[in-house]
Amino acid sequence: MKPKTDLTDAELLRLMMSGDEESFTLLYKRRHPSIYRFALQMSGSQQVAEDVTHDVFLFLMKDGHVFDPNRGSVSSFLFGVARNYVLRRFRGDQLTVPFADGEDDEPFDQVGSEPDPLEDLTKAEMIDNVRRAVLSLPERYREVVVLCELQELSYGETAEILGCAIGTVRSRLHRARGLLLAKLRPNKEAEVLSSTVVESARCFA
Amino acid sequence: MNCQKFESLAADLARGEMMEVDVLSDARAHQAECSSCSLRLHDEEMLTRGLHSVAVEMNSLQASEATEHSLLASFRQHSVVVPLTSTRTYRPYWLTAVAAILLIVFGLAAVVWKGSNQPKNQIAVQPVPQAPTEIKDNKNLVAPDNHVANLPAPSKPKRNFNPRVLQTRNSKANRAENTVANHAEVATDFMPLGYLNPALLQDGGQIVRVEVPRTTMASFGLPVNMDRYNERVKADVLLGVDGVPHAIRFVQDKRSQ
Repeated sequence: MKPKTDLTDAELLRLMMSGDEESFTLLYKRRHPSIYRFALQMSGSQQVAEDVTHDVFLFLMKDGHVFDPNRGSVSSFLFGVARNYVLRRFRGDQLTVPFADGEDDEPFDQVGSEPDPLEDLTKAEMIDNVRRAVLSLPERYREVVVLCELQELSYGETAEILGCAIGTVRSRLHRARGLLLAKLRPNKEAEVLSSTVVESARCFA
Repeated sequence: MNCQKFESLAADLARGEMMEVDVLSDARAHQAECSSCSLRLHDEEMLTRGLHSVAVEMNSLQASEATEHSLLASFRQHSVVVPLTSTRTYRPYWLTAVAAILLIVFGLAAVVWKGSNQPKNQIAVQPVPQAPTEIKDNKNLVAPDNHVANLPAPSKPKRNFNPRVLQTRNSKANRAENTVANHAEVATDFMPLGYLNPALLQDGGQIVRVEVPRTTMASFGLPVNMDRYNERVKADVLLGVDGVPHAIRFVQDKRSQ
């Protein structure tokens, strides 16, 4: 008998539904980070991400029997449930994307340490710009970017989660990237413009 | 390859998606020739790197331990609730199954009871056949000359008449008389006069009491006291609605036995 850590998600789910707490804990530890990040990347709010993660696994322990292994993986199933909860929060709670300063708009924990503070700052600023640009996308484009680019899922897995064709995913991603470039380009142009002004000032100085 | 085609492939090129070798080489060739497409691909690659940085940046993020504890508490609570829920869910099915079994048992019992009662009723309705031997000693049988004597008033012809039904239906009305009569008379069973088609009695019939020569009994295979062969004996003749006799039985007073 193989250890539970070697069991597949579907096997853990089956054991979990029969009341095995260890299987639930293993499945939660295995799958909750990606669900949490998906909710966070979609909403930009840590509180919403916490709530959605809680709701997704609460749904799983109560209605896990609705999972059909013939229709996809447990991971895709969880992403689909999380997506529904996020969209429900958007529509129900009139959640606003936290572009403005808010209570939940806390900076994410920084990972790693770079030796150059300026480079850190530049990189952090770039990441923040991209994150904000993603959050400003319409929902249907945002979820494709989050799943394909940030969660690094394949087109097929994304289509499975969203319940649409792969071609739809590809076209939405293409459109979403175009929108992101359009949103990030002014910043880039501004940076170029500002650097030009500095150079000119130096020349005139 | 033109710029429009290249633009459609730029995202896949930047993301490092797999594509056919010919398409890839064409795209690279066009990128080398077209500066705007080269810039577009550069932007796409920058975007891909930026998105990847965001993904890496958030890679270590996960829900707080409080969420896990809350879920574990819910799981334990849910695990306790599950059996109760399942019991509550299945109880009606068990009750239904038990009720169905009871219904089947009672139904079968009723059928068996009814089946066992039917033959009893028929037996009770049927007249007790009198053995021909009972009229062996018919010494005191009256032998008047008049050949027909009406027996108890014949009932009105009824539809669906047959001898058994007649006897059954008359059994109530004539039970008292028959009881008295049974005490006074003994009779043989009805014997057909030729071929007796029950269908002929469907529209009704009539029983008449007659007196026939004692020797008539011999023609039906009944023993005859040769000392009294010239006497007459009572008999009940079953007539159809057309007046044709269909059956006969011989009657003897008990007193005369």
